[in-house]
Amino acid sequence: MVRLITHNLLACHVKGCNTNNFPLEFRDVQIELREAEFNPEFLKGFMPKIEWKALVDAARQLGDTSLPLEQPEMLDDDFLKNLHHVLLEIHVEEGIMTCPNCKHDYPVLNGIPNMLLAEHEIG
Amino acid sequence: MAPKAVAPAVVDEDPQAYEDKNVHAIYDEIASHFSSTRYKPWPIIAAFMHSIATGWIGLDAGTGNGKYLPLPLDRPTDILTIGLDRSINLLRIARNAGDSSATREVVWGDVLGHGWRSGVFDYAISIATIHHLATHERRIQAVKRLLESVSPLHGRVLIYVWAIEQDELSKRQIPTGDGNSDRIGRDVVVPWVLSKKTAAAGKETLEGQVEQPVFNRYYHMFAKGELPGLVHEAAKDLGIQVGQRPMVLSDISTIRRGVEIVQDGWERSNHYVELRCWEISG
Repeated sequence: MVRLITHNLLACHVKGCNTNNFPLEFRDVQIELREAEFNPEFLKGFMPKIEWKALVDAARQLGDTSLPLEQPEMLDDDFLKNLHHVLLEIHVEEGIMTCPNCKHDYPVLNGIPNMLLAEHEIG
Repeated sequence: MAPKAVAPAVVDEDPQAYEDKNVHAIYDEIASHFSSTRYKPWPIIAAFMHSIATGWIGLDAGTGNGKYLPLPLDRPTDILTIGLDRSINLLRIARNAGDSSATREVVWGDVLGHGWRSGVFDYAISIATIHHLATHERRIQAVKRLLESVSPLHGRVLIYVWAIEQDELSKRQIPTGDGNSDRIGRDVVVPWVLSKKTAAAGKETLEGQVEQPVFNRYYHMFAKGELPGLVHEAAKDLGIQVGQRPMVLSDISTIRRGVEIVQDGWERSNHYVELRCWEISG
């Protein structure tokens, strides 16, 4: 699955592509929404690892504008529920993720992102 | 069941091409049957997953059918493990591992790749995977990738590989190697006989018997001490000290990053190590 929680971790790893290689940009995506169990303690633990701007931008690309542009300091329930939805309930089933730097395309097929590289691209 | 014969192997071509033929293509063929035989998590791995703090995310490098993705069973939403594998057919099974209504996070990729932000994971496991890499250098590289994937401050890593030293319940007969192999391990192929049920759709011989296809998977069987040796070599390449975090910081010490081997053991025909990263800031 590519949910936005995973998208926030993925970076391009083509040989020599070491800067501006995150976040991958979505294109031609099909999404599905699936409910997941809400666990605020997980979200609070995960928050420090989030690249916030990348998450907000990706959510907006997928049509969700519920997150504030700045990561809030007060974690109220409404915010955590929005964060939960964005990170864990939006599934990208099909589409392409493109590196902003080298423009390498990583396809998503049947919910599985293909991060394999050809032999000459391996760093 | 007759003991499965394990035959010596020689890797005499490009290791990537060799692994493609002798590991990856085979797992794609046997995925469904293989998965049906791999459902019970090993206790030390289950305990490791149980000890992971709430809010942590991890990488399962070589997830196979994803049997570790649903752990810990008593608080499954407290952590999130992302499964990485080279076999797309195993990943299709891993997607719904443990509960067909749940969707797991899986990524199609190579354990020698690093398609992540460096250090973004809190933990990583690699179970029964690194022994499928066909050269010593590639096995070091795999350990480096694990160390690079986890947080330098607190990252935890668990690695399992197949041992030369087999337990008495093992069905396998291991060929004796030359004198060196007790130190450097042994390259072998292990036959996988596709079950009659799975193979029934396949060929029939003249006698009307169903032929069971046999696939020979490549393994590097690890010698005792070889796995912690890989950790030392990987850490050296990355400029990381191996050992405990110093209790007292001296001003003259230049050591800033380290990895401690907190467990180095053997269980059920496998060697394993558990690692813990540390970093001194400032």
